[in-house]
Order: sequence, then structure tokens, then C-alpha cells
Amino acid sequence: MTVSTQTVSTIQFPYKRTLGPVMGRFFSELTARRIVGIRSGERVIVPPMEYDPETGNELAHDFVEVGPAGTVRSWTWVAEPIESHPLDRPFAFVLVRLDGADTDLVHVLDAGSEDAVHTGMRVAPRWRDEPVGRIDDIVCFVPGEHADSPEGEPGEAQDVTTMEYFSKITYTDVLSPTLVRYANNLRAGRLTGQRCPQCNRVFLGRGYCSVDAILLGPELDEVLPDRGVVSNYTIITPTPYPGQKETEPFARASVVLEGDEMVIAQQQILDIPVSEIRVGMRVRAEWMPDAERDAAEITSKGWGTVAGFIKGWRHTGEPDEPAEQYMNRVF
Amino acid sequence: MTHERVAVVGIGQTKHKKRRDDLSIAGLVREAAQRALDDARMTWSDIDAVVIGKAPDIFEGVMKPELYLSDALGGAGKPVFRVHTAGSVGGSTAIVASHLISSRVHKRVLAVAWEKQSEGNAQFGLGGGKSGSIGAGGAFAPWIRAYIQKSGAPEHIGWQVAVKDRQNALRNQYAHLQLKDISIDKVRESPMMWDPLHFLESCPSSDGAGAIVLTDEAGGDAAAADGRAPAWILGTSMRSEPSSFNGRDPIRPQAGIDCAWDVYRQAGITDPRRQIDVAELYVPFSWYEPMWLEGHDIAPVGEGWKMVDRGETAFDGDFPVNPSGGVLSSNPIGASGMLRFLEAALQVRGAAGEHQVDGAKVALAQAYGAAAQYFAMWAVGADKP
Repeated sequence: MTVSTQTVSTIQFPYKRTLGPVMGRFFSELTARRIVGIRSGERVIVPPMEYDPETGNELAHDFVEVGPAGTVRSWTWVAEPIESHPLDRPFAFVLVRLDGADTDLVHVLDAGSEDAVHTGMRVAPRWRDEPVGRIDDIVCFVPGEHADSPEGEPGEAQDVTTMEYFSKITYTDVLSPTLVRYANNLRAGRLTGQRCPQCNRVFLGRGYCSVDAILLGPELDEVLPDRGVVSNYTIITPTPYPGQKETEPFARASVVLEGDEMVIAQQQILDIPVSEIRVGMRVRAEWMPDAERDAAEITSKGWGTVAGFIKGWRHTGEPDEPAEQYMNRVF
Repeated sequence: MTHERVAVVGIGQTKHKKRRDDLSIAGLVREAAQRALDDARMTWSDIDAVVIGKAPDIFEGVMKPELYLSDALGGAGKPVFRVHTAGSVGGSTAIVASHLISSRVHKRVLAVAWEKQSEGNAQFGLGGGKSGSIGAGGAFAPWIRAYIQKSGAPEHIGWQVAVKDRQNALRNQYAHLQLKDISIDKVRESPMMWDPLHFLESCPSSDGAGAIVLTDEAGGDAAAADGRAPAWILGTSMRSEPSSFNGRDPIRPQAGIDCAWDVYRQAGITDPRRQIDVAELYVPFSWYEPMWLEGHDIAPVGEGWKMVDRGETAFDGDFPVNPSGGVLSSNPIGASGMLRFLEAALQVRGAAGEHQVDGAKVALAQAYGAAAQYFAMWAVGADKP
């Protein structure tokens, strides 16, 4: 079995925005089902800005209620919504000029079909049942003059100062031929690198020499020893963050492969307490069982990772090497 | 001299804090930029071009924030540039701005650098969004261990720098950390975060921004004639090197040596220890003070820690380092380099207030980034070169 030439990664994080006094006011007003802009000279800007976008000059906090109805100035139809779209049925992205505003608001229009949408049509907001102070307190705009509001009067405006912003991106990393060869060798239990014919240095999974900037082709592949010496390490006290799984101090070591060819960074040392890791310790790779080897961590960033193939490194029991010869080698 | 002389005539920064919950990102950069414009007696319309710097976008989750910020910085209809060189970016941003003037493309340029760390999480960002991030502390701790071992420095050197920079921060109203009761004991007894680095030997996470207004020679002369001393740029340099190759010296990277000597040569400095009056060095972890003293040939190799030990880098020493309180006291990452650069300019303008070093005529500023592989440095002087 050979490795895929692509790896797919997802990165996500719940960011927290501070809104500041102007956007904060806009979102606060939404909780009372009001839309406000800000006066900038003769114009009313919606959503409000802290400054005149033409000049950069600070704007006084002269807020103006606008809408709620407005006129569609331009639009585009989305026939097949994706997961991250605000509506789960076909809709239009619209630029709405709210009554009393001089700029257009980007939002979505739920009009049923593309035929029902045209520039110049009148629209009004459909409000969310329980407003939270976000732009989707307006669920969408709907055709007509009248806002689609839940029963009863809205409450007092809540003071909204921050906004949660959940960001998520999935991307596909296309592996270079060098990385595919490198990963296939790892799958077969071989650690390989390429030796630069000019400077004689070996690089793992890069396909080029970082010093001489020349391409290193497959003819330069060498099998490297899966034994080495711990050249340095860190014991990390993990800090919590979304996605963090570590809770106890953990160690990451750099291993210089035998023959002083190459450093493999951020490795785990197996079976000993982190406090017993030392510079100069001789170690041997502990390969993952064949069935568990996985190239998901191999990406085109050029760092020559062995994650997914080598579980960690185990002390060989041999006497240590002199620490001072190795300590400088970290990446 | 074939290029245009460049002067710093306006400086601004925010109050740096763990969380500036009173400001949007635009509000944060504008607070610093407006202060720099006011200091330069300018308005937005006086500026020809804007250069914006920050560290990776993943820290706040705003992609290409320079687009969103261009009108916030009065950039409508003007050239706006984004610079990104990891932790050194605040310095590189100031240098790019200076080059737009020294090359005579523009006359008045606004450079702004910022980070709003509280909107995201730097450990998450530096770990590529995965569990088990080693963070910057985990990345640098092995090199610090190597420096300690190689130089034979006693462990109290790191604690001493940690205390010194926090005491300096007490003189700086803009500094994030204001640790009035900081002491060697407190540093030593603080939790071990990234062995051998204690919690109090490490920089905080901050929200903040810095801004600099740079002008051509005529602008500098006009400021001087108006009784507002400019800082004259004596030399600028940026250098980089690959992070990982056999034979790299990560304690004293070649790029850092080359960067320093490029600046020294332009500034006519042959003996940096004697000819520089004050230095702002990028020291996010206490041991980087002696490491950069050696890494930029201010102290001989193996002797940097002795300068610290003898108190020479203290505020009242003969080679003060980080009178502002440094990165150890304020760390809005993307702005941290610019804070070094603007503090150096404040010092030679004689405008550093309570953290003014007496008689500072020549100041050095440095920032580094990523795996200690990007360097940005400038030297500024009170006298026109």
C-alpha cells in the first residue's frame, strides 16, 4: 500500500472579538430589534464605523436609527447553500440600502426562488426569536415593507461588548514527489534523507538543500540510521486552549541521528519519566506497528516529521555521549 | 550619501494590556497611530503611505487584516503595505517604511504594528492549531539550556534580567506588566513553564500597538526647527537564515551577526559596546538578553552574562538594555519589535520620560522572529548623520 499524495487538515478556533464602542453599540441595538448607523458628514454609514472611511478621521458617536425596511441594490443567487452559509435553502446574498442609510448592508434574502429577486425590490428583516447581539439576529431579509418579528415587544437593548467568532478551515495539502517517496519509505520502516552534493548535509523529506538552495532528486536518497542521541529537550507545562489535550507536563526532545547527519525535533522519549531525560542519552526509534502507520501528519512544510510512523524513542541502555557535543542541535 | 536621510518625528503606542476589552482591532491600531500623528503634529491627510505589520493572522483569526484596516489608518487612495516576518515584524515594518523614504518614493510614511492576543490564543496558533503546542518558550528553552551550559553562566542571570526589565517597566506607563513587588525570589519560585524557564522569566500575552511617523530630511529639519527633536536613522538591516541545517549555531545565529554588523557599518560603529548608549533588544525570555549581547557582538562570546551580572545592563548601568521594560513586560507580538524600535527613537529624542537614559545619543533596536532566524535592527541617533 502506498501513501496518498494529499493530506487533508482542519483547523478551527473560537475567537473572541472585542467590538469597541461603535460596533458594540450596533450589536447592542440589534438585541432591541433596532438597526443603527453613524453620521459621517452628510452621510449615514451602516453598519456604523469608528472613523470616516474616506479620511480616517474619528467620527463622533452620533448614531441614527435606520430601516428596518430597505431596497435591494444588488444581489447574487446561491442555488446550492453550503454548511457555512446562513440559510439551508437557496437564497440571495443582497446589498440592502436601509431606509435612511447612505451605504449598503450585506445580508441574505429568503425569497423562495431566483425569479422573485430583483434590484430595487423592497425588503425587511426577519428577526430572530431570542436576539443575542450578532448580525444573525436578523435571520434574513424577506420581501415586503414589514419586518417579520416574533410576538411581543422587544426588551431593553442589552450591552453587547464581545462577539464569539468560530473560525474553521479545511484545506488539502498536496504532497511533493519527494514527500510521497519519504512517506512510503517510512511506511516500509525506513528513514530516508537526501544528501546535498555541494555541502554534504542530509535533509529529511525536503527535496532541496536549505543551505545551497539546490534541488535534491531521488538519486540522492540514503537510508539513515533509526538510532541517535538526545541532543536537547524541553519539558512543557501545557496551557489550556481549545483543542489542547495535554494536561500534565510533557517532554519533547531533539534526536541527532547516528553519524551526526540530521536532527529530528519534537520527539517523545518513551518509558521514562520526563525528569530523567538527559542530553547525550542514546536512543532507538520505536516504530508504529505496520497497520497503524499513517501519513496524515506528513505535510509540505518541509520539516521532515516522522509523526504517524515513529511512536517515540527508547533508551538503548548504552552509556551516554558527551552532552556538550550535542546540545546545540535542536531543529 | 546617495539616499535620502530619514527622521522619526512621531511616536505613539497604546497602553498594553492582557485584554483591551474597550477597543476593536481598528480602535487599537488607531489609538497608537493617532498618538504618533499628534506627536508629529500631523493629520491623516499628511501621510503618503501606510505600512502595517503583525504576526501570523491565526492569532486573531482575521485573514489579511491590512485590507480591513487600510481605511482605519487613513489609507484610502494611498499605498498600503503589509509586512510579515514573524516576531521581528514590528522592526521590519519600521524598516520598510524607512526604505520608502530613503529611496525617495515617499516623504511621510506611517508605520503601524499590532497584535490583539486576547482575541485568540498564541499557543494554539504557534502549535498549528493542534494539541500539544510547545509554544515559543518550548522552542527556545533548549537553546537557552545550551547557552547556559556553553557559557557557564550561573542560573541567577535569568532571574536578574527578569527582575530588571519588570523594574524598568514601572517607569513606563504604557507597559503591560506593572509588578511592583518583583524580586529574585519571586522569579525563582514561580512555576517552571519550559524547563529551564520559569513563568516569570517569560513574556506575557498582550494586546497593543505601536506607530511611528517617518519623514525625509526636510521633515526632520522642520521638526527640529520647531523644537521637537527628531531621531535620525543611522542604519537599518534585515537578515534571515534557514531554521534547520546541520552546523547551524542557534545560540548565536549568523544572520544576527550579519544584521548587526550591517547596521554598525552604516552607522559608523566599530565598537558597539562603547559607541551605543542604550539598546532595546527583543528579549521574550530572560536569557535572551545575554544571548543577544553576544549574538550582536556587544559582548565577547561567553561574556554577555557577565555584563548582566555586573549590572551594566541595568537602568543606571553604562549599557542600559530595555529601559522600556522590554518584551518581558509587554508582548503584543506583532508590535513587540516596533516597541523596541520606537523606544530607541524616544531615547535619542530625549522624550522617554521616566525611563529616559541620561545622555542617550545613539540607540540600537533589535527584533527577532520564528526559530531565531529573522532579524531586524536599526540604529538611531540624536545627531543628523
